[in-house]
Amino acid sequence: MACPHRLLWDEQHLRSSPHLPALPMMLIRTIIPLLVVVFVPGLARTIHAAEKPLQFEADIQPVLAAKCGKCHSDKVRKGGLDLSTISGVHRGGESGESAIAEKVDDSMLWILIDGGDMPPEGQLQLTDAERTLIHNWIATGAKSAQPHQPEEKQITQHDVLPIVLLRCTACHGARLQRGGLDMRTPASMLKGGKQGPAFVAGKPDESRMIKRIESHACPPQEQLLQFFVKRPPKSEVDTLREWIAANAPVVDPEPEVVGLQPDPLVTEEDRQHWAFQPPQKQPEIKSIDQLIHKELQAHKLEFSPEASRDTLIRRVYLDLTGIPPTLAEWKQWRNSEDPDWYASMVDHLLASPRYGERWGRYWLDLARYADSEGGVSSDPLRAVAWKYRDYVIRAFNKDKPYDRFLQEQIAGDELTDYENAPVITEEMVENLVATGFLRMGIDQTGSRTMNFVPERLGVVYDAINVMGSSVMGLTLECARCHSHKYDPLPHRDYYRFKAIFQGALDEYDWLSFKNRSVELGTPEQKSRVKQTNPLLKKELAKLEKQHKKAIAAQQIAMLRQFYPDQPAEEQQETLQALKIADNTRTQRQRILVEKLRIAETMPESDFSDEVQQALQNVSSIEKQMSEVQQQMEPPLTIRALWDRGEPSPTYILLRGEHDQPGRQVGPGVPSVLTDGRTPFTVKPPFPEGTPKTGRRLALAQWLTQDNHPLTARVMVNRIWYHHFGNGLVKSLENFGVKGERPSHPELLDWLAVKFMEQDWSIKEMHRLMLNSRTYKQTSHITPAIQEHDPQNQLLSHMPLRRMNAEALRDSILSVSGKLDPTPGGPPDSVTVDRDGLVSANMTGKGGWRRSVYLQYRRTQIPTMLDTFDYPEMGPNCVSRTVSTVSPQSLMLLNNERVHTLSHDFASRVRDLLPDDQKQNQGAQVDLVYQLALSRSPSKQERQLGQATLQELETLWKETPEAALETYCHTILNSAAFLYID
Amino acid sequence: MNSQPEPLSTRRDFFARTSDGVMGAALTHLFCQDFFGGTAALANDAPHAPQQFDLKPKQPHHPPKATSVIQLFMNGGPSQMDLFDPKPVLNKMDGKPYPGNIEDLGNSNTTSIGEMLGGQYKFARHGESGMWMADILPETAKMADELCLINSMWTDHPNHDNALYKIHSGRLFMGYPTLGSWTVYGLGTENQNLPAYVVLTDPLGAPKNGTRNWTSGFLPPTYQGTRLRPTGSPILNLKPQYDQPSAVTESARKLLNQLDSIHREKRPHYPLLDARIESYSLAARMQMSATEALDLSSESKHTLTDYGIGEQETDSYGKRCLLARRLVERGVRFVQIFLEEQPWDSHADLAANHRAMCQRTDKPVAGLLRDLKQRGLLDSTLVIWGGEFGRTPTTQKSANGFSGRDHNMQAFTSWMAGGGIKGGTTYGVTDEFGHSVVENPVSVHDFHATILHQLGLHHQELYYTRSGLEERLTGVNPPRVVKEILS
Repeated sequence: MACPHRLLWDEQHLRSSPHLPALPMMLIRTIIPLLVVVFVPGLARTIHAAEKPLQFEADIQPVLAAKCGKCHSDKVRKGGLDLSTISGVHRGGESGESAIAEKVDDSMLWILIDGGDMPPEGQLQLTDAERTLIHNWIATGAKSAQPHQPEEKQITQHDVLPIVLLRCTACHGARLQRGGLDMRTPASMLKGGKQGPAFVAGKPDESRMIKRIESHACPPQEQLLQFFVKRPPKSEVDTLREWIAANAPVVDPEPEVVGLQPDPLVTEEDRQHWAFQPPQKQPEIKSIDQLIHKELQAHKLEFSPEASRDTLIRRVYLDLTGIPPTLAEWKQWRNSEDPDWYASMVDHLLASPRYGERWGRYWLDLARYADSEGGVSSDPLRAVAWKYRDYVIRAFNKDKPYDRFLQEQIAGDELTDYENAPVITEEMVENLVATGFLRMGIDQTGSRTMNFVPERLGVVYDAINVMGSSVMGLTLECARCHSHKYDPLPHRDYYRFKAIFQGALDEYDWLSFKNRSVELGTPEQKSRVKQTNPLLKKELAKLEKQHKKAIAAQQIAMLRQFYPDQPAEEQQETLQALKIADNTRTQRQRILVEKLRIAETMPESDFSDEVQQALQNVSSIEKQMSEVQQQMEPPLTIRALWDRGEPSPTYILLRGEHDQPGRQVGPGVPSVLTDGRTPFTVKPPFPEGTPKTGRRLALAQWLTQDNHPLTARVMVNRIWYHHFGNGLVKSLENFGVKGERPSHPELLDWLAVKFMEQDWSIKEMHRLMLNSRTYKQTSHITPAIQEHDPQNQLLSHMPLRRMNAEALRDSILSVSGKLDPTPGGPPDSVTVDRDGLVSANMTGKGGWRRSVYLQYRRTQIPTMLDTFDYPEMGPNCVSRTVSTVSPQSLMLLNNERVHTLSHDFASRVRDLLPDDQKQNQGAQVDLVYQLALSRSPSKQERQLGQATLQELETLWKETPEAALETYCHTILNSAAFLYID
Repeated sequence: MNSQPEPLSTRRDFFARTSDGVMGAALTHLFCQDFFGGTAALANDAPHAPQQFDLKPKQPHHPPKATSVIQLFMNGGPSQMDLFDPKPVLNKMDGKPYPGNIEDLGNSNTTSIGEMLGGQYKFARHGESGMWMADILPETAKMADELCLINSMWTDHPNHDNALYKIHSGRLFMGYPTLGSWTVYGLGTENQNLPAYVVLTDPLGAPKNGTRNWTSGFLPPTYQGTRLRPTGSPILNLKPQYDQPSAVTESARKLLNQLDSIHREKRPHYPLLDARIESYSLAARMQMSATEALDLSSESKHTLTDYGIGEQETDSYGKRCLLARRLVERGVRFVQIFLEEQPWDSHADLAANHRAMCQRTDKPVAGLLRDLKQRGLLDSTLVIWGGEFGRTPTTQKSANGFSGRDHNMQAFTSWMAGGGIKGGTTYGVTDEFGHSVVENPVSVHDFHATILHQLGLHHQELYYTRSGLEERLTGVNPPRVVKEILS
């Protein structure tokens, strides 16, 4: 069961926005109770019948005890909530919000009941009458016999600081101190600026900050959008006043972190869930096969026979590298007499640079890699995101130990003090590039209007989400608004976790779009850039000028052709209008531009010579520009994440709302994954050097401890999933209480322990899995298998699988000899035609590089990949869906490029055949099968191929050689090509 | 947890709705014979296998009023007080400063706000219901008794990008499935030979936000909108992009069919191989069906005229409206018509701009409503008109002074017609400037929940499990189906 209660922050945004239609919201709140009156049977009656008001002890407590008491009593306080007494109800849950508010619809108790969240599914439910009763009780003032004395809560600076951070510190904080004023602490407020202290204790009316805020001098109207600040609502100003009036009390409790006492919110029982226990050594286990076989036998099954050698070759090649073997490779392995040929083949492929391109891509899915920002319609490019892509591919190829891989990505900036280093080393550069992991998500905060705190929090939550689902196998997201309904993840733990990232991702001290990258390079890199780039840049600037001119010339040419009577002034006016944003053009300007647009949509064949010439001129300049760009040294810019040493305090956000702060928390990891008593130790990594909090470093170290319950399990499960088609735990991203149980728990633990013992080597895991008998089974489903293991939970066979989008595209390119193997560097550009078709541009070498090197703009996914289920990266993709739909067939059948590639394929076949065999149809068929399918055709397939080639030659009449092209095209369309046995 | 909608338990004849012409039955037979040696694979009654998603018709949650939707999307944000929601007080205040706090107005930028701008056109009452409408909508006005104006729409963001995400997907950000995707995920489609969810874009260009207006987000790509391309082959790759004698194509198809049969026979118990073979056959049938559906030559001259086809101003939009009817008639579930970029976005020269926009769209829209009604299709087709937000009562500074209005997320008008909506209704009230809603607010979630309701879907029961979370079109807080506007 999933968490149905996901408060997305557009809802919060709405509530806090000054543009909020206040009236409608009020109306909504009054409408709902009215509706309840109408639609809940018995409610109206109850209201009239209630002669004396409902009372907690007599009317409500018994219901709560019966239906909620199992988890929320004085003994068991899930989420910190005790519903057994009226004080407990008022105290509310662990986030610090009372369960009862003035209005029914603002009351947590009613919200959770009304939304169907509580009691949770599977538990005894409230009856309609009971729900009505609770609703009425709150509506009539939540009376109790035992008068409830609200606990006097003393106001402190922690009620004020969150407001100040949200509204003031953009101009009076770490980066800027307007008027010499820093508002970040009570002391600095009191110290004040040039005009004196910000407040006078005890005298709100005389306090400058109150006066400035209430007169709207602060925040200044014309700068609200410049600093992405909104005015504090009256309730917040009242809080500021109250605090000053109370003499500005300052109490300094330490931010709440793990203490030595047992955790009241997470019980020992909670910690017993299998996935929260460290993986156990399994000394009696010697191999994967031993366990799989045992389970099979228990179900009266045996291993399926070993697949044929050809099948294994194709399977392992596509699995590890995503492209089929070359003809020579295929021959080498199929003819090898070495008894260990298979293990050698696995080793050979693991050593191939193609391996990292295949397996790195899986990790990029998890990191939600893209070459653009997303979020806004302009979808700006992320010029150097590719450095992170190359880092990942390199890491897989080098078999970087997974623990180190995680440490670099999570805390690369805290591993070496690059800011304080005499010489920048390659390692420092690499570590910083790795931190791009946490910067890969959709990020609209670069927009002129989308950089308010809720939008920034969206970026932070996205990063946390990726940590949870990709690395930890936990759905942390649920705990953002309230304690997790199923997993023992208190609301508190989400914000402790958030505090870990506060040093680098601080919503109150946000790095702008432009300055969230650093310029860092080794001395060699620096000198190369210095030598090469300045000249090229000049050249590029020149070309850009020419380009602009050429486009204008082309537009004029079009106007001239299609509107020959248009006066020259009007043509110039059109060009001027193009420079104005489309929505501020006058109607006349709009009409002029529209005329040009109509001309542009004319079929190309209608264009006059002059227009054709102008178009050619534009594209030739563009070609020159891209050539110059290719000669440039990569810039030193790194899109990185780094700790800035002075994090704002972190407050729990009630219901996840950015302007509803609760108590302050310190950094920490989910309590249930620890013993709840061992503090999360954070040490600044460079005490003598650059100040950094060391929080993410502590997280990375904690995650990669040998006894961590999740890290190794989650990763080996993923590797297993890619090899065997299913995870041992099917819910790859959720090992929590509501995730799937492992099908082979001992095997999962054995693999996890082995993974860590073998130095977190991913390649060793591949060896272990690929060399197993389990992996070598055929994909054939016998009636016995169909009866006893149709879902393949017992691994009674290998599943037949479709190639994913990249493997398909790369394989077609490879088979047709058009795969340019050049690795790394800036992504290859794509072209979007006027119908929205996105296709990759050819490289200088007359081919195309692997799909992982294509420019992946979130709004311009290459159409071929998109058609075959390439994911949209919003936020990340933990497992891809596989669809089988007709646009895929239409693409392979009718697409011009696929067709051209089958021509290339056919030419290759002809080239490879010896002269005396070139016209031999049997030989042609054989070679087509060997190249495309890594096997020889069956007798039936050969006959069919020969007969069809014969027929096609007749049908093609004057161009009989086209027969082979049509045949190749058909093979690339066939199920045998698309599916892997 | 099986979060997928239940497939229909009864067999459906997918071709019922196409076989009205000569085309349907005969071709179906031909192609199915060709590809399957029978029609067995057409009616697969088995439930979704895990991770296998399709477009076969699904059982709705309750009996539907509408089986199809045509959304006439007015990108840019048409002005409510100039078209549907007359404001005499605002007219009187023309040229005066805004009386309230200007920070509460439209967009976040306060520096360029001008003065109050009265309505730019004359209003009159129309139809038996006496519905208000501006004189630049003369044709739509004739259909007033079919329309339900919702004057109390409001949304959450004053930027186009985000407001577009919101109105289409219920969320302010990219990556979430649109209303059309959710609909075909929930209901599948009646005609397997045509895309379930069709998008008709303007030949002048794609709308703002491009393909994200019809994305399937995290739902499988099967559920994304298929853009019928305004030039060239209408569906991407529908026809070969290369020349080849048809006899060659036939021979190649025969070979493919034989090879795939051999492949499938050797691999029993893999339904995904059947699905794949089926997808090739569907592709072939789609080539025929789509060509037929998109061919307007069989339409009468009267019909063409009624849509404004042949007149310069209305030809392009009229053709798309007529196409929408033809698609819905053939069982397409969800059709969206977009304009290029955001032509309603009148920061400057609003009076001239809105007049021109109405000249482009008014007649075709009315023609569509009339045609649907005459053919008895309006009862089962929900027609929706509207943009992503409304406009402010004040002017805004732009290149040529103060002549347009800024964005307003606090109130705008959308209308619905057909599909079980009570015609002749005006719902919701805005303040005396048309700036914000004062009665019967309809949020975007309410709007979506109401549309789903008419389609037989319950917003709460329509969900998809992703990373352990149940995702819904209408989000977390329960929306309200606007029952008052249902017939």
